[in-house]
This record gives sequence, structure tokens and C-alpha cells, in this order.
Amino acid sequence: MFTLASIGQVLVNGASLSAIYVLVALGFTLLFGIMRVVNFAHGAFAMLGGYALYYFWGSFGVPYVIAVPLAAAFVAAVALIAERLVFRWFYQRMFQSLIGLLGLNLALVYSAVLVWDVYERSIPPAFAGLIEVYGLLLPTDRLMVICIALVVLALFWFFMTRTRHGLAMRATAQDLEIAETQGIDTVVTYRIAFLIAIFMTALAGALYAQIYSLSPFMGDRPLLVAFVVVILGGMGSIPGAALGGVILGFTESFLSTFYGASVSSFASFGVVIALLIVRPWGLLGIPETARA
Amino acid sequence: MKPAGRVVIGCLVVLAAALPVIGANAFLLTVGTIVALNIIGATSLHLVIRTGHVSLGHAGFMGIGGYTAALTLTRLGWPFPLNIAAGAAAPALLALLIGPLLLRLQGKYFVLVTFLLGEILRLGFVQWSGLTGGANGIFGIPPPAPVFATPAAFYWLAFATALVCTALVARVLSGGIGRVIDSVRESERLALCAGVPVLQVKVGAFVQATALVGIQGGLTAHYLHYIDPGAFTSVQSLSFVVMNVIGGMSSLLGAVIGALFIVTLPELLRGYVEMQQVMFGVILIIVMAAIPGGLVELAARARQLAASLSGRAKRGRALSDRAART
Repeated sequence: MFTLASIGQVLVNGASLSAIYVLVALGFTLLFGIMRVVNFAHGAFAMLGGYALYYFWGSFGVPYVIAVPLAAAFVAAVALIAERLVFRWFYQRMFQSLIGLLGLNLALVYSAVLVWDVYERSIPPAFAGLIEVYGLLLPTDRLMVICIALVVLALFWFFMTRTRHGLAMRATAQDLEIAETQGIDTVVTYRIAFLIAIFMTALAGALYAQIYSLSPFMGDRPLLVAFVVVILGGMGSIPGAALGGVILGFTESFLSTFYGASVSSFASFGVVIALLIVRPWGLLGIPETARA
Repeated sequence: MKPAGRVVIGCLVVLAAALPVIGANAFLLTVGTIVALNIIGATSLHLVIRTGHVSLGHAGFMGIGGYTAALTLTRLGWPFPLNIAAGAAAPALLALLIGPLLLRLQGKYFVLVTFLLGEILRLGFVQWSGLTGGANGIFGIPPPAPVFATPAAFYWLAFATALVCTALVARVLSGGIGRVIDSVRESERLALCAGVPVLQVKVGAFVQATALVGIQGGLTAHYLHYIDPGAFTSVQSLSFVVMNVIGGMSSLLGAVIGALFIVTLPELLRGYVEMQQVMFGVILIIVMAAIPGGLVELAARARQLAASLSGRAKRGRALSDRAART
């Protein structure tokens, strides 16, 4: 069973899964790290990203390379309404945000059921066929997913480390009040962070929906993944989310190819629980100083 | 609690107990039974929350209780009280084994670990199909006894159990152990320095809570006549937390009110299923945004408002008196 072809398949699948997981988890960890909200509506925004791609690429025929970022940007822009009406109430309130955003998730998912009905759709593939590289057959659509994710992640890294707004965002995450006294407009910073988080989530949802299928309930899986990845890497830690996504993506691809989906779920959850007991702040998180 | 509050609560309890007698229809009795069953879960989770730990795996423990009760009945033929007792003992045993490990964790990590634990337990219910019947579950669980076959009788059974559970939790929280639990929540270190066996207290509360929610699982299996993994997902765990937060996390009454609110609200919005869920979501947002302290806070606010109004009235009278004198 461990042939060259299957290993290549596992690696490409693992890389594309990792790419999607990292995007989902980065959005989640950004919202948690900066605004202290547990975004239970994360999966719903991923689902909206899927539908946006369905229309832009499937119905309107916008060129694929433009349609994907356009769909994600569209969802992020619309989500600003949710930021104004809902999220703003829950900044820096962890438990209330958990319940309130669970409510938002319900509202969005069942509104989607009302609009699009429950049946599953499929987004037409942008690329078909395989590329042969050194005797390995690699599916082009998966490679495309990896490329898109890499570009977005590079842009994100550049934004966070090389721009003034990125600096402001990191300062706000560290200490809200000190950041404000330094003249950072935290309302604007929050809005930018929110836009970026939803953009990445919607993008991941669009890619996910194209690989698997599109339905109002497709957001559950990305939400669970975001949760697990963020715990694995450390709540609020950005490199942690990236590392956690890569680990989970490859593990899942490997285990579910060779041992079945349920074994891979058991294993990943079990490992994360064990990790949490030994090292509760996650792989790359920072241990909190003991509470008073 | 003030005497007036006690009288009001006493009257409400009597009213709820008399529900089948004062001519409730089958629908109302069904909702009432589900509310009573959920009160067990919500109040037992409240006990854990009071120690400063929010468990997102409570439904997993409920599932263990439910499956244990169902299996001891269908496979071993144990009588009703025994299989409910087994349904309480099994999750408590698991909690006793893993509690000392999990409860060392700080609050937010405990939330995450219990969330994953709940998922693992649910996966276990689905995958261990030789024992649990897999995704189809176990069918044909008979009612506890011929006496409880009518909706009214089962309502009383559920109601009495909920009452006993709530009273038990209230007793624990109002006695000396309650003070100890409060001290653990407020400052674990200080409690430890004062000689409180912090871990034992937390594990004790956790074990008791899981035993109670196991009873809910067992009764639910008897009530619905079947049991399947769909009832023990993270959604159910979350709904127990939602009941506590909506009602107000700082008081036991909040858990009861929350259970009542969360179970009955979707029923009131019935008629169009999707719209019902959307409305429910919107209401959750509004309640949490407007009153972060939960529904219990409403009462406190009303009291404040009344006090400030009467205060203003008194001041106004004093002013007019002075005006009359001069």
C-alpha cells in the first residue's frame, strides 16, 4: 500500500488540506487573539464563501483566479454589517461571545437554508486532469489550492510584519489599553483584523466547498477543524495556527488514506487532549502567568 | 434568599407540579417533561461552573448514562431503579478517573479539553456499533414501569427528579461546601493556602454533576424509547452551557430559568422550522448583547429601577415638604 503513487497522493492531499486548515485557523485565532471573541460563526462565514464562489465562478463565469479572491472579499465586505451589528457587542467578552456568535451561526446557517435549500451543490472544477512530475501524478486542482493559499499567506505575513497596520494589530493584541494610549485607533484596527479574518475564512470555505461539496451545513467541519488546530497550536498564536494546520492536514491525509476516517478523527482528538493536559497552552502558545 | 422570593418560587413549583391536573394537553406535557429533564443537566452543569470550570462535554457524560441505562435494561434485564442508578454511576466513575487530570487545567483550557472529550465520546457511541447500535442507536426501550406509561405520570417522574436534583445542588451550594466551592472559583491559590483541598473539591463537584446528568440520560432513553448518538453531540453540551449563560452564570436559579427559556422558546416560535432557528439565533444574540449577566440580571435591574424610582419619589416628597415649610 505504500507505493510511490499513493505517497505522492497523500502528500498533495495533505498539503492542500493543510493550506485550507491554516487559512480557517488563522482567521479564528486572529479573532480570538486580538478581540477575545470565540467565533462560533466561523463555519457559517466559510459556508458563505462557498456560495459566493458558486455564483461568481459557477454562474457569472468570472475568471477563476479573480473569482476566488473576489468571492472572499465580497463575503468579508458583507460581514462588516455583522461586525457592526453583532461582533462589536462581544469584543473582550469571551463567554458572552461564545453564546452570541453561536446564535449568529444559527441565524446565518438557517437563513442559508431558506435561500438555497438544504441539498448539496457542487462548484464546477476550475482545473481537471493530472500533471506528471518525476513519475508522480499530481491533481492540478489540489495544486491550485496550495498556490492560492501560499499567495494569501505570504500577503498576510507581509501585512502583519511589514506594515504599520500590522504593527498596530500586534500591539492591540498584546495590550488593548497601552495600544490606545500610544494613539492606535483600536476601532479601525479591529475592523481591519475582522476583515482579514473573514476574508481568509471565506477563501478557505470556497476552496473547501469546491473540493468537497457545498451545502448550508458544510461549515461544521471547518469550525471543528479551526477549533482543533487553534488548540493544537496555542490559542491566539499565529505561527501556532500555521503549524497546527500543517500537522493536522498531513496527519489526517495520511491516516484517513491508509486507516480510515474514524481512526484519523480518534487519533487527532486523542493527541490534542494529551497535548492539552501536558502543555495546555499549545505547541507555540505562551503560558499565562498564574492568575491572581 | 428573601422570604418573598421563597414564596414565589414555592408557588411556581406547586403550579408546575399541578400542570397535568389543571388540564394540560399532551403537547404542554411533552414540553414540560423535556424542560424538567433539561433542568437536571443545566443545574448539574451549574455545579461545575461554580467551581470556575465550564464543561463543554456534559452531553458526552449524559450519553454514557443513557447508554448504560439502556443496555443494562435491554441486555441484562435490570429493573428500572437499578438501571438508572447504573446510568448515574458509569459517568461518575469516568469523571472520577479523568477528573483529577482535567481539573488541573485552567478555565479556558478545561473548556477546550472537555469539548474534545465530548467529541471522542460521541465518536465512541457511533463506532462501537456492536454495543451501542452505531448511528442507528438502540430501539424498543420500554417505559420504566407500566405506571409511567401515561404522559402525565412520566411528567411527574421527570419533574420530581428535576426537583430533587436541583434541591441537591442547592443544598451543596448553600452549605459549607458551597463556601469552599466559591473560594476555589474566586482564587484557587488563596483557597489552597487556606487549607482547602482544591482538587478534591473540584473533582467532587465534577463527579456529582456527571452522575446527575447521567440520570438525565437514562430518563431520556426511557422517555423516548430509543437512544442514538445524535442526542449527545457538542450541540447538546453547548446548549447546557447556553442555558447557564442565558439564565445567568452566577446563580442556580439562572440555570433553571435558562433551561426553561431555551427549551420553550423554539416551541413558541414553531410553525416554520427554518425561521424558528433564525429567530432563536437572533434572540440569543440580543439577550447576550443586552444583558451579559443573563436573565437573572433582569430581575436585579428591575429592582434597582424600582428602588431609584421610589427613591426619587421620596426625595420629591421631602423637597415639597421643605417647600411647604418655608
